[in-house]
Amino acid sequence: MARILPSEDLLSRMQRDLKRSISGDRSKIKWSMVIDLAKCAGCHACTVACVAENKLPPGVVYRPVLEEEIGTYPNVRRRFIPRPCLHCQNPPCVKVCPVTATYKNEQGVVVVDYNRCIGCRYCLVACPYAARTSDFGEWYTKGTPGTSENLLGKEKCSEGYENNPAAEYGKKWPRRGKGSPIGNARKCHFCLHRIENGMLPACVTTCIGRATFFGNRNDPESLAAQLISSPRVFVLKPELTTKPAVYYLK
Amino acid sequence: MRYKYFGLLIILAVLGLIVGSFGLAERLLNGLNPTALGSYIPWGLWVAFYLFFLGLSAGAFLVTIMTYVLGMKQFEHIGPLAAFTVLIALLCEVQFILLDLGQFHRALYQFFLSPSFTSLMTWMFVLFNAMLVIYALKTFLLIRGNMIKMADKEKGRLLKNIYKLLVLGQTSYSEQQRANDRRWVGILAKISLPVGLLFYGTNGTFFAILISRPVWNSALTPLLFIVAALLSGGALITFLTYLFRLKDPLNANGFCREEQLCLDLGKIILFLLIVFLALEALQFFVGYQTGTAAIVTSLNLIVGGPYWWAFWIVHVLIGSVIPLLLLLFGSHNPRSVVWACFLIFVTFLAVRFNFVMPDLAVYKLEGLEATFYHPRLRTEYIPSLNEWLVSPWIVSSGLIAFLMGTRFLPVVTDETGGAANE
Repeated sequence: MARILPSEDLLSRMQRDLKRSISGDRSKIKWSMVIDLAKCAGCHACTVACVAENKLPPGVVYRPVLEEEIGTYPNVRRRFIPRPCLHCQNPPCVKVCPVTATYKNEQGVVVVDYNRCIGCRYCLVACPYAARTSDFGEWYTKGTPGTSENLLGKEKCSEGYENNPAAEYGKKWPRRGKGSPIGNARKCHFCLHRIENGMLPACVTTCIGRATFFGNRNDPESLAAQLISSPRVFVLKPELTTKPAVYYLK
Repeated sequence: MRYKYFGLLIILAVLGLIVGSFGLAERLLNGLNPTALGSYIPWGLWVAFYLFFLGLSAGAFLVTIMTYVLGMKQFEHIGPLAAFTVLIALLCEVQFILLDLGQFHRALYQFFLSPSFTSLMTWMFVLFNAMLVIYALKTFLLIRGNMIKMADKEKGRLLKNIYKLLVLGQTSYSEQQRANDRRWVGILAKISLPVGLLFYGTNGTFFAILISRPVWNSALTPLLFIVAALLSGGALITFLTYLFRLKDPLNANGFCREEQLCLDLGKIILFLLIVFLALEALQFFVGYQTGTAAIVTSLNLIVGGPYWWAFWIVHVLIGSVIPLLLLLFGSHNPRSVVWACFLIFVTFLAVRFNFVMPDLAVYKLEGLEATFYHPRLRTEYIPSLNEWLVSPWIVSSGLIAFLMGTRFLPVVTDETGGAANE
C-alpha cells in the first residue's frame, strides 16, 4: 500500500514546490501543467472553479473538459481531457497579434494585455487548440428584472458574482459598459494572480482526483518536472511543433 | 457627370443608411454583443464583406496599373474612375473591419504604439494606409485640372466653394502643371504596383499562414486571393465603364468607346475567371486527395453544408457557369459581357463567405462540441439581424460617396482629359 498511496496530499507537495520556485530566481521559472488522464473523472470541477475564480461571463471558458468515447460496445470507454490554454513554447497566437497585446511572459506563460488588445480575434483563429475565447459582453443576469428582491432582482442576483471584479493579471477588472475585458480575447493564464500570492491555480486545487499537477519544469525536484519525464507523457497535436507547456499522461 | 439612375440610386443608398443606422447604433452602443459571432466562429459576415470590397478595389487597381504603368491608352479615360473606385472600396473595407473589432477605438492608436511586425495584420494596416494615401493623391492629381475649371464655371455657390476647397484655392492650371501632375501620377502608379500586389497578397497570406486551418494553410491561398480579387474587381469596373458610357462617338460596329472597352475588359475577365475556377478546382482536388479529416470536413461543408446553395447556386451557377457562357458565346456583344461581369461581382460575396466560414466551422478538438454549451461556443453561424443591418449602412455610405463623386467630381472624363459633365 505504501508504494501506491502518497505519504502526503499531492497538493501540499505542489504548494511547497511553488513556494520554493517563487522564492528563488524567478527568471529561471518555467511554469508547466501536467494532467493525468487516467485519474480525471470528468467531474468538471476544474471548469467551474476556473469560471468562479476569474468571474467568467457566459460564453467564456478557459478550461473546458473534453469528452471522448473510445471503442465500441461492449469494449467502450470514456476519456476526459481537460483543456486549459497549453501555453505553447512556440505559440501561434503570439506571432499573429498585431499590437503585441498577447505575449509570453518571462515565466513562459502566454498572457493577454487587456488594455492593449483591439479585439481582432486573429489569435482565436490561430490557436490550434481553440483555447481562446472572446468576451462578447454577455451577462448571467441578462433579462433579469431589475427589482430589489433577493431571488429575482438583478442587483441582488449579481452581488455575489457579476458585480465583483475579476482579479486577472493582478488587477481589478470590474464588469461594466463595454470596457475590457469585454471585446477582448480571453484565456487561461495559469491563475498568475494566485501564483503571485503563493497559491496554486484554481483548477489544480479543486481537482478531486488530483489529476492536475502544476509546477516549475526547470526545478528538477518539483512534482511537475518529475511527471513530465514519465513514459506516459504526451502533448496535444505534437505535429504542429507548438511545444505546449501543458503535458498529458496517458 | 449626369447619368440616368443617379436619383434612384441615391434614394436606395439613403434608404440603406436609414435602415442600417439602427444596426450601427446598436453596434456602437452594445459592442459585438448583438452579433451572432462566437469564439469558434470569430469572423463572419463583416469579414466576408471586407474581402468582397478588397476584391472590388483590386479590379479597379488593375485598371489603373494597365493605364498608368503599362501605358494602355484605351483605358486612359476610365483611369480617374478606377482610381476613385479603389478609394471608395478601401473606405468600405476599413469600415467593415473596424466595426468587426471588439475594441475598435484602440486600433486607431495601438498600431502606432505597439505594432508587432511578426503579424500580417500589422502589414495589412501599413499597406492599407499606403494604398489609401497613394490612391487619394492619384485621384486628386487626375481630377485637379478639371476641378479648377469646374470651380470657375460653376454657378452654384456651395459647389463652387467645395471645388475651391478641394483644389486648395487654386484658380489656374497651366499645361506645365498638367504635365507635372501626369508625371506624378505615373510615379505613384509605379509605387502602387508593388504596394498593391503586396497588399492583396498579404490578405491571402494572412489566412495561409495559420497552421491550424488546413484549408487556408496552403501556398495556393495567396495566389487564389489575388486572382479572386482581380476577377471580382475587374468585373465591377467593366460594369461601371458600361454604366458611365457616353454613347458618342460610335465606331464602325456601332459601339461607343466604352462599349468597345467593355469588350476588351471582357477578354481579361474571361481569362481571370478560367484561372480562378481552375485554382478553385485544384484546391478541392488536392483537399479531397489528401483525405485529411479536417480538410475533407471543411470542403464537405462548402459543397453540402447548410450553405450549399451559396456554393452551387450563387457561386457556381449564377456567378461562374452563366458568366462563362456569356463571355464565351457573347464576347462580341457588350451587353452580354456586362451582364456576365455584373453576375460575377454581385455573387462574389458568396465566394468570400464560403472561404471564411467552412474552415472555422469545424471543431479543432474532438469532443469540444459536447462540453460547455453556450451559443457563443458553437460552430453554427447565421449572421444576426444586426450584422445584416450594419452591412447596408456601410455599403450605402460607400455608394453615396461613389454617386456624389461620379456626379459632381470630374472622375468620368473624355479622351482628352476633360470632364464629361463640363
